[in-house]
Amino acid sequence: MKRTALLFMIFLLFCAPGFAQNTTVTGTVYSALDSTTLSDVSVVVKGSSGGTTTGGNGTFSLTVSSQATLVFSSVGFTTLEVPVNGRSVINVYLEQSSTNQLSEVVVTTALGIKKQQKTLGYAVQEVNGETMAKTKMPTAVGALTGKVAGLNIINTTDLFQNPSISLRGRTPLIVIDGIPDPTADPYKINADDIENITVLKGTAAGALYGALGVNGAILYTTKKGKKGKLVVEVNSSTMFQTSYTVVPKVQTQYGNGDAGKYAYVDGSGNGTEGGGWIWGPKLDVKDPSTPSGYWETTQYNSPVDPNTGQLVPLPWVSRGKDNIKNYFRTGVLSTNSVSASIGSDRGSFRASAAHIYQKGVVPNTDVNNSSFSIGGNYNLTSKFNVDAKLTYNREYSDNYPTIGYGPPNILYNLLLWIGPDIDIRDLQDYWVKGKEGLQQKNYNLSWYNNPYFIANQLLNGYRRSNSFGQVTFDYKFAKDFSAKLRTGFNQFSIDQDVKEPYSYIAYDYISRGNYSITASNYFDITTDLILNYRHDFGDNLGVSVTLGGANAYRIEKAVSSSTDGLTIPEYYNLSNTINPIRSSNYQRERRTGSVYGMIDLEALKFLYFSFTGRYDKTSTLPVKNNGYFYPSFGVSAVLSDVLKLPEPISFLKARASWAKVNTGFINSGDPYAHLTTYSIGQKWNNVPSLVWPTTSISPDLVPETVSSGEYGIAVGLFGNRLMLDATYFRNKDYNNFVNVPQSQASGITSILKNANVYIRRGWEFMISGVPIKGKNFKWESGFNFSTVHRWLEDATESPDGYIGTLKEGDRTDKIFTWESRTPDGRAIYETNGMQAWSPYAQFFGYDDPDWIYGWQNTFTYKNVTLSFSVDGRIGGLIYSTTNQKMWWGGTAPGTVNQFRDDANAGQSTYVGPGVVVTGGDVQYDSHGNIISDTRKYTENTTAVNYISFMQTTSGGMLNNYFYYKGSYLKMRELVVTYNFPQKWTKNVFSSASISFIANNLFLIAKLPNVDPDAESDNLQTPSMRSLGVNLNLKF
Amino acid sequence: MKQIKLFTVVLLLAIFSSCEKFQDFQVNPNNPTVADPSLLLPNIELRAFSNISLDAALASRYLVYTQSSSNSQYYGWQRNSMNYADISQVVKMEQEAARVGKLNYRYLGKFFRSYFVVNMTQIFGDIPYSQMMQSIQNGNFDSSAARPAYDKQEDIYLGVLNDLKIAADSLSSDQTPIGADLIYGNNIEQWKKLVNSFTLRVLMSLSKKEGNGNLNIKQRFNEIVSNPSKYPLFESNADNAQLNYVDITGNQYPYFNSNSVKTDYYLDSSFVDILQEFKDPRLFTFGMPTTASGLPANNFNAYDGLIGSAALAYNTNKRGLGKASQINDRYAYDAINEPSVLMGYAELQFILAEAVVRGWITGNADTYYKKGIEASLQFSNFNNTYSSATIQDYLAQPIITLQPGKEIEQIITQKYISMYMNSGWQPFFEQRRTGFPEFETAGDGILNDGKIPKRWMYPTDEYNNNAVNVENAVKSQYPGGDDINGVMWIVQ
Repeated sequence: MKRTALLFMIFLLFCAPGFAQNTTVTGTVYSALDSTTLSDVSVVVKGSSGGTTTGGNGTFSLTVSSQATLVFSSVGFTTLEVPVNGRSVINVYLEQSSTNQLSEVVVTTALGIKKQQKTLGYAVQEVNGETMAKTKMPTAVGALTGKVAGLNIINTTDLFQNPSISLRGRTPLIVIDGIPDPTADPYKINADDIENITVLKGTAAGALYGALGVNGAILYTTKKGKKGKLVVEVNSSTMFQTSYTVVPKVQTQYGNGDAGKYAYVDGSGNGTEGGGWIWGPKLDVKDPSTPSGYWETTQYNSPVDPNTGQLVPLPWVSRGKDNIKNYFRTGVLSTNSVSASIGSDRGSFRASAAHIYQKGVVPNTDVNNSSFSIGGNYNLTSKFNVDAKLTYNREYSDNYPTIGYGPPNILYNLLLWIGPDIDIRDLQDYWVKGKEGLQQKNYNLSWYNNPYFIANQLLNGYRRSNSFGQVTFDYKFAKDFSAKLRTGFNQFSIDQDVKEPYSYIAYDYISRGNYSITASNYFDITTDLILNYRHDFGDNLGVSVTLGGANAYRIEKAVSSSTDGLTIPEYYNLSNTINPIRSSNYQRERRTGSVYGMIDLEALKFLYFSFTGRYDKTSTLPVKNNGYFYPSFGVSAVLSDVLKLPEPISFLKARASWAKVNTGFINSGDPYAHLTTYSIGQKWNNVPSLVWPTTSISPDLVPETVSSGEYGIAVGLFGNRLMLDATYFRNKDYNNFVNVPQSQASGITSILKNANVYIRRGWEFMISGVPIKGKNFKWESGFNFSTVHRWLEDATESPDGYIGTLKEGDRTDKIFTWESRTPDGRAIYETNGMQAWSPYAQFFGYDDPDWIYGWQNTFTYKNVTLSFSVDGRIGGLIYSTTNQKMWWGGTAPGTVNQFRDDANAGQSTYVGPGVVVTGGDVQYDSHGNIISDTRKYTENTTAVNYISFMQTTSGGMLNNYFYYKGSYLKMRELVVTYNFPQKWTKNVFSSASISFIANNLFLIAKLPNVDPDAESDNLQTPSMRSLGVNLNLKF
Repeated sequence: MKQIKLFTVVLLLAIFSSCEKFQDFQVNPNNPTVADPSLLLPNIELRAFSNISLDAALASRYLVYTQSSSNSQYYGWQRNSMNYADISQVVKMEQEAARVGKLNYRYLGKFFRSYFVVNMTQIFGDIPYSQMMQSIQNGNFDSSAARPAYDKQEDIYLGVLNDLKIAADSLSSDQTPIGADLIYGNNIEQWKKLVNSFTLRVLMSLSKKEGNGNLNIKQRFNEIVSNPSKYPLFESNADNAQLNYVDITGNQYPYFNSNSVKTDYYLDSSFVDILQEFKDPRLFTFGMPTTASGLPANNFNAYDGLIGSAALAYNTNKRGLGKASQINDRYAYDAINEPSVLMGYAELQFILAEAVVRGWITGNADTYYKKGIEASLQFSNFNNTYSSATIQDYLAQPIITLQPGKEIEQIITQKYISMYMNSGWQPFFEQRRTGFPEFETAGDGILNDGKIPKRWMYPTDEYNNNAVNVENAVKSQYPGGDDINGVMWIVQ
């Protein structure tokens, strides 16, 4: 609190008195470009420090000597000097400055404060909302993929799943119009409402959002009405997912079964049905002794011989070669929005509505997303302005696919565990005749579900209503001094249900029907009161002091209930339960109060300093340590403003910043993570139980801290035709909330305390420019690439410097595996010819990409614009479940070989590539490091049955144990736009364009069968190519 | 200036006006912090009594797995895990019992501690015992508490036997009754029977140490058997310490609807051979007739097994020909099936029979032995597959009657049959102790150089969190290092 008082003192000191007066001049400042009025334009008397700034409606009023000269200046505009010459009304038009863009760029920073980019000591990158107006992704944030250095958007191929967002290796805060959105629902913001997106990359940038902003922030600024103009905009895109960018390739020569045998009995999967494998007999084998001419066996669709009661054998042929293509349908993404906005001297207004419809490639799946928003601002007086916005959004789906490896996943049943002997189209009629509603029809009833049955009967419903908005009151006490009160909220309620039909097969149970409902409610409110004082002391010193206080509160409640069986099939209601309803609920509340301050200094016209400090008090820590302070400091030097630089260099800026952020949120989802309580144990025959946690919590917890240093340079060359920006950062994560393990024999398995030190380091580079700029033709291009890794610096709780297998100095994305390998990576086999296992996990490789990159290009020729974006990653390993399961289960094309035929004939002919240990010994220390290795090897010569080998090892050693190089390049988006000439659209539209748009056009990757975009693979939907049209009309 | 002052006041008020609210959030409204011990007992019971293990059945040559090469079946296993977390729950129950003065829970606690400790020491050898539980018991987090030293197995057993005696002597129906007991419906007398019967199991597991002067095994055994009023024992299957399953989701038989039990588990031929040789009707409730035989379920010739040590391909091939008996349907298709047994009356009778043979107690070994067999046949008679006359016929067979010089083998073999899929790893440990029945290891699939492992390696978390002590324990017990073939003290 002492520091806060100090900030206040400084603030009071700078409170300057008024000045002498002669005549009153009033007027309005307009933009010469579009005649909109300009607020916050500085109006000063030349040669003095006196002056004012324009209000929200662009007006000013100033008392000056009648012979004075007024200097109008504003960020992004050319400064204009106007002699008063006795006039009392002066209206001016400011030209947008174009000469030195880099030094004039304005960005939105923390708390919605606009600053010139050149004054910032940290990295900020802005993406214009226009870039996502044409091409459409299901979420607005998806459109940032590859466009921001250091920001890794990890997209999934699955319908209605959130892309994950990683900024410098961590998840950043989402902020909408200055209000933090801790729920970070990427579907709730309408992309057509976005004016621009600013990415505050570092800790310094986020310092003023407090702990929420510790990992940087993505700030959405939404569109507002522009003064003096009515604009009605219609934007419509429709895309079709007509073809595959990546689709798994399966073998089509062997069918269901095991050991080359298959005979259907009753679908139980045992005995001659082969346990559900796709290691069955070869298909399409000619056999002159059968009626069909092919080898025949009993199958699930065999008719029953009325005389014998036995199943009649059917020909064993490859009817299901195109199962994947036959099953999936054309997906659709259709986005339509309309908005209207207007502005006048007193204020502005904008309203919009949007609807996104997504039809999934899986039958009977879709997502609808509707948004409505209304916002505006109004000058209540010349000093008092109010700005408000309210958005309602509803996401709803009656069914979306379940993801992840397992029985409810479509691919599980369609790609991995169905043989080409089965034509998927035969399963379209998915009930057993006479048992509709009770028993699904399938070739196997112990492990797998009919994919049509899953799509049409196992229904995941999700309905979410979001409301969010803010009100901001601005009051200008004097030209130097203003106050802002802003309060904003996020609210949502989710109504989720799952309908599980009779005979649905999960792992370890077969459903007798179930219905479950989850209803949750969330509300948060953040209120900031911000005072700002700014003053220029002559030419060489300008000061801005901001002081604020904030209060954040959130509450979350949820109730989940589920039946235990359904008495009446297909009647989905909780009251229909067989056994007592299973139910649970929770309530979570938390509160954070903060005061903060910021001082910005401008000195000698090229040096910019910024200091911030924040004090938080939070309910999520033990009371004795729940208040804490943290500062930041930044400096920026625009060297090109003071130094005479060689000709090609038109702009040069160096920046540095240091920041510390403390966070008191142990677990972002659980505000009670610092309290030890019982947890609810299993109920047995309706007798309840409790379980005491085996994690203890230290009473001395203090906040977790990130301290960060960041250094950057920005260079403009050839009149800023070519711009380079480089940033290096180093974050130290310490006092981390860690469950420090201890011997479980002590009675607890771990104690939650502050421990360990990690270093995150990385580089971010941006190169952008206009390589060609002719009369009719322009090529703009931007390339960015970045890298970040995290290292364990200090394992503070371990006397020998280890956390598990991780040693001090190691990168934290090390992958360890248990398969036994020689030092040069060859597989070691057991005496029975199967993969041997190591008693300690051994280092295998790294998970994180070495680099991620993105490249955007826009070519403009007269009325036609072509733009495309490619991006990808280089290095790092991705584990692929799809590929592993394909080799394991028998569907991988690589399993079609002579050994497989031999195995089908009962012969053991396959010798796994690698070695066996013939002598010697290997010694490990207790961390699994090899301390001596005298092993001697010879080539493995034990021939085994190929099918047994694959079932036991998945052939991991043939495929780098399914860790594939993650490098890829993806053609993310392509847009060709034709802007209709003005003469055609005159009197109807102010502008109109039509675009051909494409997403996910092609991919070059090392990883087979799946899209590496998701950076992991746990059985994903095939990656689809989207093609479509966008129509944009402005009235 | 006035405005500034006003704003300052408003600001500070807004931020800290309701600071006491921060304290309000220091209580988690979702979960309790104190509880009656009866709320801890069910979870402890579930942990202790859920014993059914397919891995144990593979390692004990009851079953063969056909999905892939199983390390349990081929004896290629490595590490096992510890379960001190279960003892932590016991400590918490004891603390809550002390808080509310319900002493029976504390004595039950002694039993559960002993049970969990015995399970672990049988797996590894030496383990932390005298210094265990210090962090949860005393709130002590210093290095000696966080990294407890390992105790000699002999000392562990001494401590366990003393704890069990305290429980046996102190459990009393005169004390405040217990509640929420899933096993015996709050009947303390039955708990006493379990404590005493279990003590006899522990003593019998130490049969190789019968001359040990510290443990006084024979004397302890006699003290219990000779004083049935003070130390009552199981009197029938009704006293079995077992967990009954219920047809409520989560309370069903653990392999109910298990996909892999439906498709991948087949009887081991060595087990089928024993049952066929004895004309043992339990075969009909343990397995299914093969499809290839075409014979009815009550024909002994309808059954055939796979070979646990054979290469996977041999087994999948034989299965594909329909010549393998699957595990009985009831294990995957019946929601309740049969209970999970911690210890039953049949086992007690086999222990008593063995004690007579070993000369620890006097009595008729054959009587105990046959009572045990009868109890087991009754236990396994799922859906009354066979009649009580069949049971008597079985007992009357000469091949069943104890034969001089072969008593231990016969007793242990019958104990082995009786424990099929109901007593966890106990049959494996009995085989380790006595060598009966012989587990075959001759096939091509076998690992570990054809040896049956004697133990498991210590878990990785102990090497990470308690390295010095676990390394010392390995050095003092196993000259060959932490190895699955190391021979621990109780079986030396």
